[in-house]
Amino acid sequence: SSTVPACAYSPDPFTSSTSSDEENSDDDDIVEPIDEQEIYDLIAPITDPEHPLTLGSLSVVNLPDIHLTPLFPPSSSSTSPPITVLTVYITPTITHCSLATVIGLGVRVRLEQALPSRFRVDVRIKEGTHSTAEQVNKQLGDKERVAAALENGTLMGVLRKMLKGCEGT
Amino acid sequence: MTTSSTAGPVSITLLSSLAEPSLHHTWLTAAHPTQPLVATCSSDKCVRVYSLKTSSHLSTINGGHKRSIRTCAWKPGLKGENVIATGSFDATVGIWRRWDNDLSLRRSDVKMSEEDFTGANGNGNTDEDDDDEWRFAIVLEGHESEVKSVSWSAGGNLLATCSRDKSVWIWEEMGDDDYETVAVLQEHEGDVKCVSWHPEELLLASSSYDDDIRLWREDVDDWGCVSILRGHESTVWAVEWEGVKSTAQGTSSTENPGIRLASCSDDQTIRIWRKIPKEKGPPQSKLSIIRSGSIEEEWVEDSQLPRAHVRSIYSIGWSKNTGRIVSTGGDGKIVVYIEDQGSWSVLAENDGAHGVSEINHVCWAHMGDNREVIVSTAEDGSVKVWAI
Repeated sequence: SSTVPACAYSPDPFTSSTSSDEENSDDDDIVEPIDEQEIYDLIAPITDPEHPLTLGSLSVVNLPDIHLTPLFPPSSSSTSPPITVLTVYITPTITHCSLATVIGLGVRVRLEQALPSRFRVDVRIKEGTHSTAEQVNKQLGDKERVAAALENGTLMGVLRKMLKGCEGT
Repeated sequence: MTTSSTAGPVSITLLSSLAEPSLHHTWLTAAHPTQPLVATCSSDKCVRVYSLKTSSHLSTINGGHKRSIRTCAWKPGLKGENVIATGSFDATVGIWRRWDNDLSLRRSDVKMSEEDFTGANGNGNTDEDDDDEWRFAIVLEGHESEVKSVSWSAGGNLLATCSRDKSVWIWEEMGDDDYETVAVLQEHEGDVKCVSWHPEELLLASSSYDDDIRLWREDVDDWGCVSILRGHESTVWAVEWEGVKSTAQGTSSTENPGIRLASCSDDQTIRIWRKIPKEKGPPQSKLSIIRSGSIEEEWVEDSQLPRAHVRSIYSIGWSKNTGRIVSTGGDGKIVVYIEDQGSWSVLAENDGAHGVSEINHVCWAHMGDNREVIVSTAEDGSVKVWAI
C-alpha cells in the first residue's frame, strides 16, 4: 500500500514478483523498441509538487533532453544483455528550486515503475539550471537513497500526488 | 593454484540458484565464516538462510524490522550457536541467535563426500519447523537513519555499524546480549555506506557518500581516525581487507609489505590502498601524553584494478584463499581479477550474470570442502552460486 499508484503497463522493478529467473529473462529478451517520445509521454503528466501544473507544461521535462543509449556497445560479446541507459535532464523552473530533488525522484520513480527492468534510469539536472545541481544529481543517482526514500511514508504521499495524473496512461 | 598467465579464457560458471529466493529487491548475501551457509537480506524485511550444498532454504529471520533489511553479518568464532547481526532502513540493528545443532549441515556433514547430497534429509519438512528458531536477542538503537552496513571484529566482541546519519558506531559485547556503545565516530560528511574490520588487527575501515575512506583505531581508550584515504571521485560503496597470509606456511612476509584494503566506487574504479610501514615498530602510545598526530598512519593508493565496469561498482570480495578479487555492480557484470607480481589483470568476466538485473552484492564463500565459490545477489531477488 506504500507504493505509488500502478500507472504502469509493465512491471515495477521494485515490487514486481517474477516467478523465476528464466521467465524474467525471457520477458526481458523481447526488446520492444521504446523511443524518446514514449518516455516523454510517461513523465510529462507528472504534476509539480507545488501547483497543479504538469512537468510537461512547465517545460521541466523536454523531449530533446531525453536520451537512450545501449549500456554495452553493439560490438561487445553476444552474452551481453540488452540493457538501455535512459538519461533524462530536467530543467527546474527556478535555479534555487528546493523541490528539484523531489521532482527528480518523481521522474525516476515513474520511469522505473513504467519501464522494463532492462532500463537503467539516470535523472539529472540540466547543466546550468540549478544552484546545487551536483548535490541533487548525486542523490538521484544513489539507488540506496532512492530505495530508502520509497519506504518513507511522507515522501511517498507527495510522490503519489505528483504521479496521480499518470493514471490510465 | 593461481597460475599467473592462463592461456585460454577462464569462465565464471553457474553452479546453482538458491531456492526459494525473495521476490523483492534484495541487497546482500553474507557467507558464514566456516560453514557452507549464507544469509540473504531483502527489502521484504526478512533474512533467509540457505545451504550452499543443497542450494535450499533452511530458515528465516523475520518480524524484527519495520523496513528493508539492508545488511547482515555472521558473528565469527562461535561453536554450537549461530549469531547474525542485521541492519535495517528502520535505523536499528538486530542481534539474532539460533542453535547450530538443528541446521541440516553440521560439522560432520562437511567432511562427507561432495557427491553426497543427503546431508539435507527431510529438508522439505524441516523448513517450517526451523522458521521460528531464530531467536531475537537484542535491538541496538542509536542511529538516526538507515543502517547501511554492519561488521563484526575478528574476535567477535566488537560490532561496527554505520548509517545515513554519517556516523559509525562501535558496540562491545559486555556479556550475554549486553552491548555497550564504545565509540560514535562522526567525521564523515555523508552517508557511511560500508564498515569493515581488519581480519586480525583492531582496525576499522569505513567508506562514504563523501567519496572518502577512513581508518579507525583505538588509542588509549578513545577511538580515532588514523588515516583518510582520498582518491575516489564519487561514493565509495564498499571496502574489503586483504586476507592475512599465514607466515607458518613458509610464505615470505616480505612479499606484501604493509596491509592492504580494496575499495569500489560509483566512479567505476576499484582501488587498492597500502599502509606504509613505519620505520620503527608500531608506536606504543600508551604512555604518550602527546596525542595529536601520534596515531596517524600513512596510507597510499597502491594500484587500480583494470576498468571492467560501465556502471557504479557496488560490491567487491577479496578471497582469503587465492587473493583474487571479485566485483559487481549496476551493469550486471561479475568480474574476477588476479594479481601477478603487483599488477592486476582481469581473469574472467560474466556479462548479464542475472539477466538484465543490477547486481547489488558479491562475495566469496566456502562450500565446506575447500572449494571456494562466488555468491552474487541481484536486485530482482535472485541469488546465484558460481565456480571459477
